[in-house]
Amino acid sequence: MYLEVKNLVKYYNKELPIIRKLEFSVKKGEIISFLGESGSGKTTFLKCIAGLEKIHSGSISLNNVVLNDKGVFVKPQDRKIGFVFQDYPLFPHLNLEENIVFNLDKKYHKNLDYILNLTGLKYFISRYPHELSGGEQQRTCVARALIREPELLLLDEPFSNLDSAIKESMREEIYKIIKETNTTTILVTHDINDSLNIADKILIFKAGIVQQYDKPEKMYCEPANCYCAMILGDMNKLFIGSETYYVRPEKVEVVKKSNHKIKVEKCFFQGREYKIKGRYNNEIWHFFSNKSINENEEIFIDFKKIDLIYFDPVCKNFFK
Amino acid sequence: MEIIKNYLIVENKRWIIGSLLIAFLLLLPIAILFIKLFSEPGKNFSYLWDTVLIDYTFNTFYLIFITSFFTLLFGLFPAWIISNYRFIGRNFYDLVLFLPLAIPSYIMGFTYIDILSFTGPVQSFLRNTFPVLASYFNIDYLQIETLGILLGLALYPYVYTAARVAFSLLGSNYIDLSKSLGLSTIKSFYKIILPLSRPAIFSGLFLVFMEVLNEYGAVKYFGINTYTTGIFKAWFSLGDIGTAIQLACLLLLVVFFFFVLEKISSSKTKFFYETNSPVQRLLYVNKDKLLFFHLVCSIPFILGFFIPFVFIVNNVFQTYSSIDFVRLFTLSFNTIFVSSLSSFIIIIVALFFLFVEKISKTKINTIISHLISLGYAIPGAVIGLGLIMLFSNIMDSFFSVSLIGSFYVLIYAYVIRFLAVGKSPIKSSLEKHPESYDDTGKNLGLGPFKLLQKIHLPINKFALISAFILTFIDIMKELPITLILRPFNFDTLATQTYEFAIEEMLPLSSSYSLSIIVIGSMLLLFLKNVINKQLNVS
Repeated sequence: MYLEVKNLVKYYNKELPIIRKLEFSVKKGEIISFLGESGSGKTTFLKCIAGLEKIHSGSISLNNVVLNDKGVFVKPQDRKIGFVFQDYPLFPHLNLEENIVFNLDKKYHKNLDYILNLTGLKYFISRYPHELSGGEQQRTCVARALIREPELLLLDEPFSNLDSAIKESMREEIYKIIKETNTTTILVTHDINDSLNIADKILIFKAGIVQQYDKPEKMYCEPANCYCAMILGDMNKLFIGSETYYVRPEKVEVVKKSNHKIKVEKCFFQGREYKIKGRYNNEIWHFFSNKSINENEEIFIDFKKIDLIYFDPVCKNFFK
Repeated sequence: MEIIKNYLIVENKRWIIGSLLIAFLLLLPIAILFIKLFSEPGKNFSYLWDTVLIDYTFNTFYLIFITSFFTLLFGLFPAWIISNYRFIGRNFYDLVLFLPLAIPSYIMGFTYIDILSFTGPVQSFLRNTFPVLASYFNIDYLQIETLGILLGLALYPYVYTAARVAFSLLGSNYIDLSKSLGLSTIKSFYKIILPLSRPAIFSGLFLVFMEVLNEYGAVKYFGINTYTTGIFKAWFSLGDIGTAIQLACLLLLVVFFFFVLEKISSSKTKFFYETNSPVQRLLYVNKDKLLFFHLVCSIPFILGFFIPFVFIVNNVFQTYSSIDFVRLFTLSFNTIFVSSLSSFIIIIVALFFLFVEKISKTKINTIISHLISLGYAIPGAVIGLGLIMLFSNIMDSFFSVSLIGSFYVLIYAYVIRFLAVGKSPIKSSLEKHPESYDDTGKNLGLGPFKLLQKIHLPINKFALISAFILTFIDIMKELPITLILRPFNFDTLATQTYEFAIEEMLPLSSSYSLSIIVIGSMLLLFLKNVINKQLNVS
């Protein structure tokens, strides 16, 4: 494996470790998305990988070189890891080009034209950070990280400061750049759309523990627990006998007649279709419809048994 | 074992050890005072206790009270008007309301007493024009209340500056919110803006307290007994160093009391200015308010700068033939030399401490950084006394005599006293920059020294310039430390002004005071320009 993290533990308060026994590995060229709520320790994890925070136990190795374990600590500047921070920290006293080549080893200067073309920043090289848009600043940070040919690229919430209008195009551009340079990447985000759009694999992180680490489609269809299920999208709750099952909104169909009658509470137009909110057996359900449905109207819905998801009862608490 | 293990994993050890050593040197003179307090009891303390100590205490607190009232009066209202309203003359007031900072309090005191004296322009004018009124003005102005008002005029820029920045940075959201909740402008000011700006205003007021406690020249001239004059009296008149130390420690307790008060004020309520909210929009002024606004803004400037400045310039013209230009240039050079060198050292030390605090992230460095800032709260007389105690005790008499009264010790004292002045603008500038600059620097391969050299020095250059100017002006005006520790036969503009004034030769001191005011004003105007570039507030 290219990147291997084993039993990583990190804490500020020993009683409440922020990361407990984190373990996963990444193949060369893969893009991994690290998904978790705000404050769950995602950025701390990236800083541990980059050497900006020290770990308390476990090990991190990259390309068969141990970066950090009980007896080894490779300094951040010697790790060959590119880091794009959330707030795009471009140095304000340097222009775009100076920012990109800042403290750059001579052997990488040949990459400048390639990186500028790749990131579309060729025409802005003499501009200062305050003269760049949010997207241009972000691409500059990516260029500054990639020009050094890092063995690993860390992206910390790279799209969170962008407005929704340019977020999608930026996501695509960054994806294209990373794939073209075949750079192994860890993307930290709290936005599920970022993960689903870019990542080869998603790692869901909660309470300092990996909840699930898998391909996006498998994770969506076969979530390991209710937290993973919930973080990846809405779930409708269904009681069959004494058991509780869940079904995804897109697996629910509006039909002419069935055993499941639901009272519509709201109908939202979402461009391609309508999202319906209704009440079924005293539970709120969401699903989609091609046609608009009036409020308080009673309709029938149906779903396949195969699409029902079952979790152990302890996990139910996550839905509260 | 745990401590040793923790130490071994601490990064940047050399930087931390360096900061501990320098902090030790900076805190040593004050520590010596406390050690001496118990080893050498003063002979005359019980006498002072029975006779004048209550008088010292009352005068000190009463003077602080009057000065604070007038600094708030002269500082708060112009700051509010200039931060919120657009009117002709606003930019001029914004520029000149800082200028009284260029006039040392003692010069303000000497000048006004001369202006108000029987032979001064005010009483002469009244005698010639309104003889009936003249007798009402022929009173003894050397009173603590007059001094309080004059100190208020000299020191209000501390409150004005703090309030001006706070009012501007509050942004328009709070104002809009209070308006939407039905509050009038005046009610918004009292109920929203003033409470929100309280920590900033109190930090300005804290500086005023410290300046009053440190004041020696004006207090001595007015014949008012405070702790600082008491220290000088016990030391030089009674020749009793033990009592001087006891008074100094008592004064430190007063300082500590105000320090704790300031900390409580700023910790109980933590406010964050909404820097991302739109800058406060300037409102146009109704004609009926315009005259009132001009009065509020012009009175502090006219009384605090214009009148003393014009009077001193007039004195300079009248005594032009007797000005010793060679001495004036020599003293100007001495002043500029010692102020520049000390300010330069202060900036380097301040930047070093702040940078170590930033990169080490250890509690000990944060505590040290706070402790060394206490120097500003310690009156110059106390620092002077501490240093003399230090050198006369740890070295043999030959070295102590050659060190005390040398530039080294004088600059050492300035560094202890004014380090906080240099630290303040650098600290706020460093805090404005995100921590990710440091992380990015490290990620891009920079060690601590290169991080400082390539990132923090260039992006904080305006703050470094501001810090240099502020410490330069403060050192140029400083009196007690310079009087106690200056080398033999070494005078500065400040000491010469004081010596002429105390000998009732005020006109002869004018050329020296004018030089202080002109140098200080030019630097303040330059500083204002730097601040405008750095902080784009309306």
